[in-house]
Amino acid sequence: MSPALAWYRRLIVGALCLSSGLAGVLLLFLWADRLWAAVWAVAALIVFVGGWILAGRFRRSWGYVEGPAELYLTYGVLIRQLVVVPYGRMQVVDTTADLLEQALGIATVRVRTAASTADTRVVGLPLMEAVALRDSLAARSETFSTGL
Amino acid sequence: MTPGYGPPVMLPPTMWQRQPPIPRRPEEDVTTGVFRAHWLMVPFRVLAATLAFVALVGPILTSFGVAWVVMLTFAVVFGSLAYALPAWWYGSFGLREDHLVVHSGLLMRGSREIPLSRLQAVDVIRPLVGQVFGLAELRIELAGGDNSAVRLTYLSRDVAERMRVAVLAHAAGLPGRAPEAPEWPFYRLPFLLLLGALTFRVPVLLASIALAALATAGVMFTELGVLGALVPLTLGLLGSFWGPLARYTDYYASISSDGLRLRYGMFQRRMQTVPPGRVQAVRVVEPLLWRALGVARVEATVAGYAGARQGASAALLPVAPRRRAYALVNELFPESEVAYVPLVPGREGSRSLVGVDEHLFVTVSGLFCRSTEVVPMERVQALRLTAGPLARFTGRATVGVAVPPGPVRARAEGREVAEARRLVDEMIDLGRRARVTAAGPERWATRATMSRSDTPGEV
Repeated sequence: MSPALAWYRRLIVGALCLSSGLAGVLLLFLWADRLWAAVWAVAALIVFVGGWILAGRFRRSWGYVEGPAELYLTYGVLIRQLVVVPYGRMQVVDTTADLLEQALGIATVRVRTAASTADTRVVGLPLMEAVALRDSLAARSETFSTGL
Repeated sequence: MTPGYGPPVMLPPTMWQRQPPIPRRPEEDVTTGVFRAHWLMVPFRVLAATLAFVALVGPILTSFGVAWVVMLTFAVVFGSLAYALPAWWYGSFGLREDHLVVHSGLLMRGSREIPLSRLQAVDVIRPLVGQVFGLAELRIELAGGDNSAVRLTYLSRDVAERMRVAVLAHAAGLPGRAPEAPEWPFYRLPFLLLLGALTFRVPVLLASIALAALATAGVMFTELGVLGALVPLTLGLLGSFWGPLARYTDYYASISSDGLRLRYGMFQRRMQTVPPGRVQAVRVVEPLLWRALGVARVEATVAGYAGARQGASAALLPVAPRRRAYALVNELFPESEVAYVPLVPGREGSRSLVGVDEHLFVTVSGLFCRSTEVVPMERVQALRLTAGPLARFTGRATVGVAVPPGPVRARAEGREVAEARRLVDEMIDLGRRARVTAAGPERWATRATMSRSDTPGEV
């Protein structure tokens, strides 16, 4: 996966920690005393550092392989998962990129099967790679198609 | 309704349709021409609009005098008639080759064309009022989820029945004028068994005991406060006891080459047809007390029965002896035998069993309420091997199979990691082979090999 994936996560965690930390510190400073504000700030900092480290590990945990008849995905830091999706079962393959992803030049390939619970995604691919993956998956799902 | 359960003779399924078969006149052929809902729908709609107006707005208007109320009511009657009549006339449907074309709406015209080879299930529903007036609803379930079903509300019953036959014939790949596929009886649920099985459940028994105790306490001490507990208890009992009882009274399942046909209901008669290959997964549920009786419930995941109707339509056999239940599972997944799938227990301490063979993935789970879940290999949408932090600490993993939304959630928990990995590898291989041999479920009658022999003796 592209290193931008880790930065994507870090930016989101950073923005969340910064906003909630600042708001919490301000409120606590006004209504309680400085001690609680400091505790809140330290807690936000710890969450931010944890998120920073996890983002790197999360990026390294990601992997995908295009097998002969299935797509293999593996991901997860706390909950390790291995997902196997046969090409013949794919109903929709789409590529999405939100604003931050666009700025970082990455995209998400989402694969949908008839089982709506199995929401399988390949995140954080460089845009060109994501488009190529989508096209090859779509072509293969056509070749291996066996209906519902 | 249908004659009772008393005589052991299996009644021919045509008893459900009471009128003798009328020779089909050419103009009654449903494969050509345009059809619309029964004309009674127009007065019904007008009546409903008028009643709603009188009930909601009437009390406010009485302060202006009765003459105003009468005048405005007449205005509403004619206004709704002016809308309902053209809406009824333009809301038409008909068969075009093997597509069903449905036109609807007056202000917002819509028309849908449905390729019938893709249908997932066909239901004919007759509510109580519909039975009085001879009306029926035809519902065609498609795989697109909750809103994709085609509902043709309240046709005359005759048209609904013949339309169902034609729709199924087209879906099977036969000409629409083909006669209905013959069927043979599979199971008729005796009323006493249904009543007994519904009563003989731990929650129902506990609730009844609590109800009786509360009622006696209330009577003895003339305490009105118990009513506060009695009312929710009674409502809960009604919901879990009376609901299924009225729903599954007079339950009759039969098997035809068009798939499984179910007929049931006391006040609302339903007839479901699930064509072959549409069942994505099945589970056999045996609650604690039912195991003593030797009965089980069979539920299925069908892609069309999604969303709110899921729970209602998913039960294929509400109560049946275990052997009949497994016979049905074997019937749904031919060429395979659930009982022969070798089951492997998980690590000690976990109760779940799992087994695979070249056709089926089977898991057994549940300590009190045992549920056996069966997914055919060629219907597996995705495989998932999961290990949470705690599970990884103890060296365990969960193997899950993704199937469309429904009652079945096939998961084998608490497997050894290495064993789980081997299981997934094996299933990848088996699934690949199963998908190669599997023909698509469309147009089942045109396939060269029928997987089931058409002789009633073998059922």
